[in-house]
Amino acid sequence: MFLARFLARRLAQGALIVFLVSALIFTLLRVVPGDPVRLMAGGMAPEALIEEIASDMGLRDPIYIQFGRYIGGILQGDLGQSFVRPANGAAVGGASFDDSTRSERAEVWTLIAETAPMTLQLAVLAMAFALLIALPIGIWGGLRPGGWPDRFALYISSVFVSLPNFWLGIVLALLLSVKLKLVPAIGYEGFAYTILPAFVLAIEIAPFIIRTLTVSVAGVMSQSFIDIAAVRGLTRNQIIFRHALKNSSVPLLNLLGVQFSMLLGGVLVIEFIFDYPGLGLLTINAVMQRDFPLIQGIAIVTAAAFVLINIIVDLAATTIDPRLEY
Amino acid sequence: MSLDMVQTKTLLSVRNLTVTLTGEGRDVLKDVSFDLAPRQILSVIGESGSGKTVLARALASWLSEPLAVTGGEILIEGRDLLKDPAYARTLAGREIAYVGGNPAGALDPTMTVGAQLVEKLRAVRPEISAADAREKAIRLLEAVKIPAAERRFHEYPFQYSGGMMQRAMIVDALMSDPALLIADNITQPLDVTVAAQILKLMRELNEDFSTAVLFICSSLPVACDAADEVMVLHDGRVVERQAPDALIDTPQHGYTHKLIEELPTLWAEGRDQAQPQDRDRRAIMSVRGVAKHYETRSASGKALVQAVRNVEFDVFPGDNFGIVGESGCGKSSLMRLLTGLERPDAGSIFFEDENVGEASPKRLRALRRKFQLVLQDPYGSLPPQSAIGAILEEPLKIHAIGNRAERRDRARAAMSEVGLPTDLYDSLPTGLSAGQRQRLNVARAMVLEPRLLIMDETLSALDQTEQGKLLNLFERLQAQHGFTYIFISHDLTMVRQVCSRIAVMYLGETVEVAPNERLFFDPGHPYSRALLSAAPTLEERRYRPEDCLMEGEPPSPIDLPPGCAFAGRCPQAFDRCLTENPRLRSRGGQALAACHLNDPGES
Ligand SMILES: Nc1ncnc2c1ncn2[C@@H]1O[C@H](COP(=O)(O)OP(=O)(O)OP(=O)(O)O)[C@@H](O)[C@H]1O
Ligand code: SF4
Ligand SMILES: [Mg+2]
Repeated sequence: MFLARFLARRLAQGALIVFLVSALIFTLLRVVPGDPVRLMAGGMAPEALIEEIASDMGLRDPIYIQFGRYIGGILQGDLGQSFVRPANGAAVGGASFDDSTRSERAEVWTLIAETAPMTLQLAVLAMAFALLIALPIGIWGGLRPGGWPDRFALYISSVFVSLPNFWLGIVLALLLSVKLKLVPAIGYEGFAYTILPAFVLAIEIAPFIIRTLTVSVAGVMSQSFIDIAAVRGLTRNQIIFRHALKNSSVPLLNLLGVQFSMLLGGVLVIEFIFDYPGLGLLTINAVMQRDFPLIQGIAIVTAAAFVLINIIVDLAATTIDPRLEY
Repeated sequence: MSLDMVQTKTLLSVRNLTVTLTGEGRDVLKDVSFDLAPRQILSVIGESGSGKTVLARALASWLSEPLAVTGGEILIEGRDLLKDPAYARTLAGREIAYVGGNPAGALDPTMTVGAQLVEKLRAVRPEISAADAREKAIRLLEAVKIPAAERRFHEYPFQYSGGMMQRAMIVDALMSDPALLIADNITQPLDVTVAAQILKLMRELNEDFSTAVLFICSSLPVACDAADEVMVLHDGRVVERQAPDALIDTPQHGYTHKLIEELPTLWAEGRDQAQPQDRDRRAIMSVRGVAKHYETRSASGKALVQAVRNVEFDVFPGDNFGIVGESGCGKSSLMRLLTGLERPDAGSIFFEDENVGEASPKRLRALRRKFQLVLQDPYGSLPPQSAIGAILEEPLKIHAIGNRAERRDRARAAMSEVGLPTDLYDSLPTGLSAGQRQRLNVARAMVLEPRLLIMDETLSALDQTEQGKLLNLFERLQAQHGFTYIFISHDLTMVRQVCSRIAVMYLGETVEVAPNERLFFDPGHPYSRALLSAAPTLEERRYRPEDCLMEGEPPSPIDLPPGCAFAGRCPQAFDRCLTENPRLRSRGGQALAACHLNDPGES
């Protein structure tokens, strides 16, 4: 029963958030300078033609009407069509203003559906690498606060944090891919192409996980139920693995939720460097081409993903610590 | 083989045990020796800091930095735990069980109590199956009188009240049928009625499960009540050991002597507490029909917690007014209303003709100069980073009183008045003892020269000797400054010593308001009688617990029964009590009580 009410409440809240995000993005895109029609049609197109295309596409209607139309579309699962991309692939060049291609422009939904799984794959792998690195270091540091594992955790986090991701990406690509030919780096022709960018991302987020873990494990270890557990006769392994880690996992979960959201929404630099065909690359191109429907679509989909991740994290947290279920 | 099967005369024998604080090189326990027979209950008493907890931890092999055993032996069955840590580890939680005074944080908050009881038993006795362990846990939860044990087994620690949690910890200790139970101050955090139940329970368990008990506590009456023999610890040394009666009659050591002599009494007659009761005086604080509820979310949606209901009393200038009741009865919520920190949902609170409940925030700030609050917790209520002088000057600064030099003088004057050395002016409060901290709290409250001081459990963290000193201080300050005090407390003995009039609260209501003598010798409410019967004392009891109190705990303030809130535990309850809530009525002589038995038509 709790679950149903929780989900109903959170999904309603989430829908509201997504609505507000789309309203904000929609308005912002229409007030920034630069006319997308001019870009689409090319600098040479006559003013009258541009006006015609624009009013054809409804771009000269008042914003709230455009927005209403757009939301109506979303409710039917239609995110609109890209201004720039044809259905068959490469972006449409700026110079052609041949109106007949309009009907073959790509569906935003299809574009996102093609690239999102790539980003998801990258994010999951990056998260797995990050946990693999951070869990042992963080837990160990938390179990010996002030000791050398704690200092080690701190130093290694500082090193990781101070490596700029583009630099690390380029260095690793040169070293592992070009020199040693261990893993491929640029573009995407199979799963192996995910490994290097995922590793770079993992190095970027691992310090946050390590930090959160050392703090929360150390905090839990100093609580009285841990102290008393030994007197109650529990073994050290039981104390650490059954009680300490479980109790310190709630802050970790929250952090992982945030990090995962960031991975889904904002791996722009890494996807760009590795030319990885995910949402990040799609976003960069959409922004450079002023492809409003695509930008909007990506924003809405990522906002919805954030909301869902948040709900899942909270649900998992209340399962672990029932006190959070209020 | 279980240890208690072995036929030996002594279960535990401690020889010349010395424990040292390694940093300072100070001995905390000095040459402690004693024996404990199987099935025996031995009380250990001593003032705060005498080393009781250190002894308990040493026996449970639970000493940690900076404490270390530097000499002696702890023999169980003739084997020295200190020389054989592996043996000590096999005993921990199995043959030697420990229950502490802070049940609140003792179990993992993310696992059900039942699961942890099972986990513990299976950790020390892996041969027992999970199903058997579960069955045993439920049986023991029933044995310690946890209502609906089967259901409670599946609940989380935060769903238990303090008293229930302490009982669950006793179950945890008894799960493995230990030969020795070390109970360190287990009744200290509990209300008197619950503490009385726990003591009774411990005696029964001692008989049923033949466990020897080392019962550590800081209250002489409780120690004598609980044990076959009492051992007195003073400054880390065992100074005497006798049966309770003999100890009271012929104490051997000066400390014991002094402890017995200064023991506050409940029933001794002829105290000169009676204040001049001049009823023409105007009340300084007058509370009428005050109520406050809070909204909480519970499993089944929103719920109303009725924290305070139907509270009525008057406090007159120069009064020492006491408010007593068990934890959760709404004392602290009432305190927040009295000080204007929150506003009541109904009723009025007049302080010198001004309604605190409706005063504007600005007026309230001005009024707060005249009534000050001194809080319970001597540790949490002081900012650790400010110097003592700065702490005392802060209220003066807030109210823009005096210039720097004047404020400094007033702070120093307040320090010397409460007995804090003035050369502590620049030091941080971290080094102060609990008693000194409470003095500082009192000084901070009185620099503004208030008319009314509200003391919320101000003394409950202090031991008997320190309490006595502070009570003398309060009396002196009252004589000098004409303060009026409201003491909010669960400690009847303290209230008996200092208060002229007392209000008894139960589940948010004032069920009785009466002058001191009247309340103690002619209580008008069955709950007051139950409280009196449960109060720890060495005197002959006027009220027997068996007659006055039924098992159980107060109902939750969320789903209150329709009639009298006490009906579930009241031995005298009758039909009318279940349907109609009694109102506060006069019993003559300034005494009021809310019970149908006082209705001339009944009884
Ligand atoms: N962890 C510790 N670090 C430093 N000093 C300690 C520590 N534990 C105890 N002490 C010191 O050992 C002495 C005995 O303390 P202990 O806690 O045994 O007193 P107690 O008799 O249990 O007091 P109370 O009645 O307040 O519980 C005190 O002087 C105390 O300051
Ligand atoms: S009203 Fe009834 S139940 Fe309540 S205290 Fe009086 S006799 Fe007991
Ligand atoms: Mg102690």
